[in-house]
Amino acid sequence: MEQAINGMKKHKLLEQTIKFYFIYSILVVVIIGPLFYIMSNVLYEKDANEDLYATKKQFETIQSSKLKLKDINQWNKFNRNASILPFNGNHEDNLFDHNYYDAINKEYEPYRVLNSPVKIDNHLFTFSTKINMVEKENLLGCIAILFATLLLLLILGFLLITQFISKKLWQPFYATLEKMEQFEVGNFFLMSEIECKTEEFHRLNLVVDKLISKNNLIFKSQREFIENAAHELQTPIAIFRVKIENILQNKDLNSEQFNLINELYGTISRLVKLNKSLLVLSKIDSKTYTLTDKVNINEVILNQIDFFCEQATSKNNVITSELFDNVTINSNLILIEVLISNLFLNTINHNKTNGEIQIILNKQKLVFMNSGIDKPLQKEKMFERFSKSNPSSQGNGLGLSIIKKIVDTNQWAISYYYKNSLHTFEITF
Amino acid sequence: MKILIIEDEFEILLSIKKYLVGYDFVIETAATLKTAIEKIELYSYDCIVLDLGLKDGDGFDLLKKLKNKNRIEGIIIISAKNTLETKIEGLTLGADDYLTKPFHLSELMVRIQALVRRKQFSGNNVIIFNEIEIDTFLKTVRVKGNKLELTKKEMDLLLFLIGNKNKILSRSVIAEHLSGDMADMLDNYDFVYAHIKNLKKKIKEMGGTNYLKSIYGTGYKWNEET
Repeated sequence: MEQAINGMKKHKLLEQTIKFYFIYSILVVVIIGPLFYIMSNVLYEKDANEDLYATKKQFETIQSSKLKLKDINQWNKFNRNASILPFNGNHEDNLFDHNYYDAINKEYEPYRVLNSPVKIDNHLFTFSTKINMVEKENLLGCIAILFATLLLLLILGFLLITQFISKKLWQPFYATLEKMEQFEVGNFFLMSEIECKTEEFHRLNLVVDKLISKNNLIFKSQREFIENAAHELQTPIAIFRVKIENILQNKDLNSEQFNLINELYGTISRLVKLNKSLLVLSKIDSKTYTLTDKVNINEVILNQIDFFCEQATSKNNVITSELFDNVTINSNLILIEVLISNLFLNTINHNKTNGEIQIILNKQKLVFMNSGIDKPLQKEKMFERFSKSNPSSQGNGLGLSIIKKIVDTNQWAISYYYKNSLHTFEITF
Repeated sequence: MKILIIEDEFEILLSIKKYLVGYDFVIETAATLKTAIEKIELYSYDCIVLDLGLKDGDGFDLLKKLKNKNRIEGIIIISAKNTLETKIEGLTLGADDYLTKPFHLSELMVRIQALVRRKQFSGNNVIIFNEIEIDTFLKTVRVKGNKLELTKKEMDLLLFLIGNKNKILSRSVIAEHLSGDMADMLDNYDFVYAHIKNLKKKIKEMGGTNYLKSIYGTGYKWNEET
């Protein structure tokens, strides 16, 4: 499998190993093949030559002294691969290749021939002996086939062994890789629990474990910090709020003072909401909510719709809904309530006057659509904490990140698109 | 009505006391669990406002003590802990109501009043404010003997206003009271205006006096003296 990462094609480890093996094998064939051929050729020829000399020596030592001139014709008749020829003038031994017509096979066949001068009855003759080299060609053919088979077997072996290695030896590595891909901050599992006999992989797992636990620790302390900070803020905020509420009761306040204090009072409410949202987020992070309730989403929506209809009316927004009956889902009731109310609030807060809101619920998805500004929102940062499309709005920029967090916790998916002048948030279960 | 406020945060204690003064309450305070237990053993109260996180102990211990003695005081927990588990634990240990910090004093006020009504009169109680009579059990309102048809929200609003009579209530407080659990989600308080307008109109139609004054455009006050 090939994957394109950063624009460059990445190959699997196994493929790369095999590639190198393959190149090496080809190289071996190209170099060793001809070399082997030449060597075999030389060796065979040397062998043939030795044979020829041996035949000649045998003739010289045993037969030549006993032969008479008149026997030569007779001798030539009974020796197929040797003959006594009239002297050709060459006083040296002479080796060469020559094709002779073979009467039995009815074709020309290659021969190795040795011509050497001999003395018979004190007359010089040329003794010619020859060896059929057809077998050499057969042998070379055989060797070539053997060689090719060997090579094929080797490559096949490489392939199988690398595959085996990848499956068995690299298995712990792939297991680690897979676990790391699934890793999310806050999840706890140990890589070193993956069974592996290879020291390097074991070390890798230990190192990854160390990194993960460090990460988790940082994440945990950060989460705890947010949670503690939000908790600790409750009391000062509470004091602030009750004090201001009491100041508002002061009969001597003039209009300007009253409105100033009243604005402060409103700001405190925003602070309270912000704090609560942060607490909700950190509680979801710390997995306080179990996803074991059977939640009827219709009921949750219907419970809230009156309240939000009232809110929508003040902006002259019309809410239309298309709800399938009895969409029940395994989740957490509180989380679903928070999810639905945040979705409602989002559609109302970012709506325009005389706008519309549409809600669709069926077994697969939950969709909230609303009119608003006449262009699509920036997708990149919309689910990040404290990101606001309109910085001057009263919202705290946590609504969408709470929605996203709840969707993620339930392992659903959320997508945003702008269609028919409607901003659409679609949650697929 | 005798009320005991148990709260270790002095400023909050003081503010609650200050807000409740001038109503039919006799207010006692305790800043520690120890003083609280002493006072409860010596006197009886109509209502106890209890903070859970006290310096010398857990408010739950006090609840357990009260439960074992079969005391009939109404108890309202005020706590910074906002988990369902804490709420449920508090309510099963005998508390009657649970308010999360930070709360509004006006909200605490009507919660105390409602609790005392429930405890003392089994909820069968009529609140009389000059010509206006509210039967909290039957959920009916009469002005000069004429029945007023109010929606649930308007009824709630009327009780909240009369409960906090002579106090200035900002629009946001009223909005949050009317929204109940949804209060956290509010961004827009305009809907309060519609409810106030309707309530005023209905009381006027039955010949009632307009006690509700607008304060500098953003606040309201149910004024005893017109």
